[in-house]
Amino acid sequence: MEHSTYPTLPLKNTVLFPHLVLPLSVGRSKSIAAVETALASEDKLIAVFPQHNPRTEEPTADDLFRFGTVGVIKKMARSGDTVQILVQGIERVEQLETVQAEPYLSLKVTTLPEPSDTGTEIEALHRTVIELAGRMIELVQPQVQVSIHHIISDVEKPLHQIYLLTSVLSLDFDKEKELLAAATQAEALHLMYRYLNHEVQVLEVRQKITSTAQTEIDKKQREYVLRQQLEAIQEELGEKSPEQAEISELRRRMEETELPELVRKEVEKELTRLERMPSAAPDYQLTRGYVELALELPWNKTTEDRLDLKRAREILDEDHFDLEDVKERIIEHLAVMKLNPEAKSPILCFVGPPGVGKTSVGQSIARALGRKFERMSLGGLHDEAELRGHRRTYIGAMPGRIIRAIRRAGYKNPLLMLDEIDKLGRDFRGDPAAALLEVLDPAQNVEFHDNYLDLPFDLSKVFFVTTANTLDTIPRPLLDRMEVLRLPGYSDEEKQQIARRYLIGRQIGEAGLSEIQLSIPDETLRYVIRRYTREAGVRELERVLGRIARKVATQVAEGQTQPMTVKPKKLVELLGPERFFAEEVRQQLPPGVAAGLAWTEAGGDVLYVEAALLPEGKGLTLTGQLGNIMQESAKAAQSYLWSHAEELRIDQKSIRESGVHIHVPAGAIPKDGPSAGVTMATALTSAYAHWPVRNDTAMTGEITLSGLVLPVGGIKEKVLAAHRAGIRRIILPKENEKDLREIPEHVRQSLQFILAERIEEVLTAAIPELNRLHSRGAA
Amino acid sequence: MQILINSENGIYQKNIWQPSADIYRIEQGWLVKLDLAGVRSEDIHLSVRGQHLIIQGLRRDWIVETGQQYYSMEIAYNRFKRVIELPTHLEHARITTEYRDGMLLIWLKTAPKGGL
Repeated sequence: MEHSTYPTLPLKNTVLFPHLVLPLSVGRSKSIAAVETALASEDKLIAVFPQHNPRTEEPTADDLFRFGTVGVIKKMARSGDTVQILVQGIERVEQLETVQAEPYLSLKVTTLPEPSDTGTEIEALHRTVIELAGRMIELVQPQVQVSIHHIISDVEKPLHQIYLLTSVLSLDFDKEKELLAAATQAEALHLMYRYLNHEVQVLEVRQKITSTAQTEIDKKQREYVLRQQLEAIQEELGEKSPEQAEISELRRRMEETELPELVRKEVEKELTRLERMPSAAPDYQLTRGYVELALELPWNKTTEDRLDLKRAREILDEDHFDLEDVKERIIEHLAVMKLNPEAKSPILCFVGPPGVGKTSVGQSIARALGRKFERMSLGGLHDEAELRGHRRTYIGAMPGRIIRAIRRAGYKNPLLMLDEIDKLGRDFRGDPAAALLEVLDPAQNVEFHDNYLDLPFDLSKVFFVTTANTLDTIPRPLLDRMEVLRLPGYSDEEKQQIARRYLIGRQIGEAGLSEIQLSIPDETLRYVIRRYTREAGVRELERVLGRIARKVATQVAEGQTQPMTVKPKKLVELLGPERFFAEEVRQQLPPGVAAGLAWTEAGGDVLYVEAALLPEGKGLTLTGQLGNIMQESAKAAQSYLWSHAEELRIDQKSIRESGVHIHVPAGAIPKDGPSAGVTMATALTSAYAHWPVRNDTAMTGEITLSGLVLPVGGIKEKVLAAHRAGIRRIILPKENEKDLREIPEHVRQSLQFILAERIEEVLTAAIPELNRLHSRGAA
Repeated sequence: MQILINSENGIYQKNIWQPSADIYRIEQGWLVKLDLAGVRSEDIHLSVRGQHLIIQGLRRDWIVETGQQYYSMEIAYNRFKRVIELPTHLEHARITTEYRDGMLLIWLKTAPKGGL
């Protein structure tokens, strides 16, 4: 093998292959010295070796790769401190030893013979490599049309082709060194195949990613262009997309509607937003809904009030029986409105048991005034946002019930009935009562703020009417804002009148009959009221009458031609067995039982209080779901009796040696309130003294420890209930005398009232034996 | 990668450079003129094979003195080879050469005198 010594040029990050030309920029002083030495020779030869670490500034033989290339310097030019040379590789060499290290590195090398191994494997590998190289160039530079075959067609030897390929493909430094080290063609081809295969795979994945992204962009661009074209076509044809048509319609409506300046600005702003928004945007429907609401709300639309008092009175009388107080109050209000149109509307609160006509009175007022009637129930409303609306940032946001009711009404001064205000809830979602306060407060509702609408709306022209079954559960501040009008229950006679005037005709009509086909005599009506209903109002009565009408309608439909008069005995056939027994009065009252009168949400009721002594027992037992106030009444009654036992001729021994049990039947119903005090005292006295209470007497009233009888509420309901139940004597607190005026004349006439100031009066009136003793004692 | 591909023919042979040539058709055959400035005549070797005229040799850089420094270098040194193919067989041609002013003139007389 041939050994020679050459000045040596270390190369950073690059490899010179035989037969290829490499331009180099030489800057290191030792390298420049090596180049100059080579140039000074006759044949300009230099050995070029890649260095392992490109950062090594003065590499020794050990820092250089074992294999290098001897090349001839073909051209050179000096520029400043560097020397530019063009080196052409001639043959591969392997370093043997360092001849000198200064002033330049000189190595003794051995020339490696050019490999010329052949065979089928080499042939196959060669073809594959060329194919892969072609594919790779296609992937790297698809715009380059020249095929790799063309570039390397001049080159016959596979090894030379591989060297040439290194200049075409961007292989990394380590791979180039490995290629240079390859001793045979087969080895070089294997290496090249491996690199190319890897490169092609990476490039293919990269191309796939790029083309996917490109497709995505292309699709978007295409859609955009199509949309633009569509718009242009539609414009040309004078057509508009449904969304655009909708927006222009909204804009037209905005221009035609008279809106407050603030609202107009806001609507304008939202419409502009809407125009810029694609219809698929999540906000689109929300914004459109908002604009529609703002345009539909009656910002300035009012109905004119009809303030004809005579006509109003006629309407109220036509719609409602009795209820004189209520009607009077409404007429008064109309009179005020007539004289002073700016007067603040009162907030009326109709309180009364179910079915007495609270809602329909509201409707009648609206009719009399010529206002729109809107009704919303507050029963079970927990969420403040239900009233005040949700902010538009929430999904599914919508305006509150107040604004929705106003929108339905179409005028800003409807009669808005807030039903069941006593059943307002309150929990973590806020306090709807607080929102209602704002709604109902004339000082605040001029600028009512709905969260959804987000614009002030004037509610001051709204006529608010609320209804409740009881005042107890209405939040105090709300109650303060309202004017309470009580609608007590009806007596049997009143119900009869109502049925005669309103209900029967309506139900006969509903069933498709005429008044000739079905008649219900008074006797039957009374029977229905007493035996088939028990209520303060007339709702159930109307339902029962409806059932009768339907039964008769069935018979008519089946061919009955004779007009039908419903007799009481026919009722069992039509309605089934009687549901309530008219005479609730117990025929015989054993000692210890007294009839009390209670007020319930459904009107009044007769409740029997039972007291029993428990020999050898202790203390006071109370049963029947009694509330705190009733328990206190029981204790007060017991204490009073103990302290007045002697006067009442009660055996003190029985007091000392026995316990007491007080029970109020109908245990499933919670009971509370002070008005059972006198009844408990009477029952206890009766029990201790073993004298029965009169069975025709019922009582109500609160007692004090000193024996005073204090007034209670709900007298009308209680008296009517007692009357219904067949009681003939009623003991009332003296101070409730004024309430007797409310009771219908005929009821009052049929009852005996005992007005008591002290418990002794109650006891003597209720327990005949005691009365006898007293008169004897007095005698 | 900064490797350039040399487009000159035969670059993949061991020969480093190729002299430029002009070829003339003359009355008796061919005249080939090669630019071989600076090449010593003893370093030139001529041969004929079939229709091919092969010229090879070596250009040495003879102005090499200690202390001088190359500033720029454009002339190719080292071995050269040039193969010229002509449309006639050259085996029996009469070849004469002349080295004049750095040019090598090669006459290839293939036809007898007076004929063409």
